[in-house]
Amino acid sequence: MNTRNELLCIWSAILFVVVFTLGLWPLAHFLPPHLPTAGAEEIAALYQGRTWQIRLGLFLMMGCSGLVCAFVAAITVAIKRMEKGAGILTYTQLSAGTCGAVFLIVPCLVWTAAAFRPDRSPELTLLLNDVGWIMLFMPFTTFVVQNIAIGLAVLGDSNTPTILPRWVGFFNLWVAVLFIPGGLLTFFKTGPFAWSGVFVYWVPLVVFLSWYLVMFVVLRQAAIKAGRAA
Amino acid sequence: MIPGANPSILRVTWLWGLLIAATALSWAFGHGLGAGVDTRWSGTAVLVIAFLKARVVFLDFMELRHAPLSLRLALEAWTIAVASTLLVLYWRVA
Amino acid sequence: MTHATNEPARHLPGEAGVWVFILGDLLMFAALFITFAYYRSNDVASFIESQHALNQRCGALNTIFMLTSSWCVAIAVQVARVGKTRAARRWLVGGMACAVCFVVVKIFEYQEKIAAGITLTSNDFFMYYYMLTGLHLMHVLLGLGVLIFLWRSLYAPVSHTSVRTLESGACFWHMVDLLWIVLFALLYMLR
Repeated sequence: MNTRNELLCIWSAILFVVVFTLGLWPLAHFLPPHLPTAGAEEIAALYQGRTWQIRLGLFLMMGCSGLVCAFVAAITVAIKRMEKGAGILTYTQLSAGTCGAVFLIVPCLVWTAAAFRPDRSPELTLLLNDVGWIMLFMPFTTFVVQNIAIGLAVLGDSNTPTILPRWVGFFNLWVAVLFIPGGLLTFFKTGPFAWSGVFVYWVPLVVFLSWYLVMFVVLRQAAIKAGRAA
Repeated sequence: MIPGANPSILRVTWLWGLLIAATALSWAFGHGLGAGVDTRWSGTAVLVIAFLKARVVFLDFMELRHAPLSLRLALEAWTIAVASTLLVLYWRVA
Repeated sequence: MTHATNEPARHLPGEAGVWVFILGDLLMFAALFITFAYYRSNDVASFIESQHALNQRCGALNTIFMLTSSWCVAIAVQVARVGKTRAARRWLVGGMACAVCFVVVKIFEYQEKIAAGITLTSNDFFMYYYMLTGLHLMHVLLGLGVLIFLWRSLYAPVSHTSVRTLESGACFWHMVDLLWIVLFALLYMLR
């Protein structure tokens, strides 16, 4: 019975990735990214031209981000099985992962405000658009802490066999490193470290979404094994 | 004794000397050696030396010379791919 | 997992999982190197002009520190395998000392640049200079933590597991060395 709920939470990762991508890509057209160099009129035109698609896309992106909480809970349960004692990494991962979900939801709401009155002054649309992009791509900190907590927990696991394969621990540490350049978008409007750049948009986005798929596969196996053992 | 790849300490040490010498050579190329012909040939030398040094590091310091072949090939492929892309971009005239 | 008494000819250094991190990191830096070279090829004159402001002596000195550190760590692994933990710890201290020197030189170099008014946003060349060396420095600091962890772990008598951990950490450190070798050529030496 318990395993069924656990698997439900684990599957929520897949639903999240699919719906989030659907909203981001074909609906809102936030993939490829807006350019930080684009002028107010240009950005306002985007919101005026595709108003309802952007609203719907953002509705879906915001709507599926709550599933991240369920997935974070699934990771928490796995880490709890790894850790002995008070379980400090369990709580670190839980709180950092939960904060991470907030930074998926809030940017969507800010962009929604831009799409809510597309005919307002273009300067204001530009401002809201900036805020949304910065909020989604700059806050690497919670994601990095979450990944490091998972990495340390997996590598410190003294169960035999370990709850998750050890490479998953190293994979999470690597993902943590990849997210860090995102924080530097504040300095650039062009080039690979701007929010539209390779190391802030493309690499972190692909890694972020594939991270869910990798974690889904290994957590699902671990949950089934734990269910059998119980 | 714990098993594992075990090239001698002496070998690692002379390779270290070789790496330092290669750095000096790279410095010379970076400061005019071979620039008489075309500066870009000395730049090419600098890049080639760097990747040869990288190869010594992964073959003998990481001990991939004695590792499963697939891992060694992965690093060899990385070296060739990155080095050749950098060289092509270096010679490209914008 | 278990090592047979008759060791096969091929030996995977470190645990398999650490290679996920090392290969992944090499991939990320490959992308950074290529991006740098691409933007350089679009604006060679300005990149070479900016490069004159770099302190090449610092770069060369740091290459020597990095190579020497890597060498110390390689020897530490070898002596640990034959059970000489005290000697292995001493070699690791040598490796850490070189790493600390690297960091000190780097800080001096940054401070020199900042004093000359050169920052992350000065131009494209310096953006790459700070980003590439900064990301590398982050790896050096991470590696220094790894070396300290290995040094502490060698207070216990060696076992197969502890040597494997030592190899994993050493391979990470050699990767940091390898990346610096390429960075030195790309940023400081290439004309």
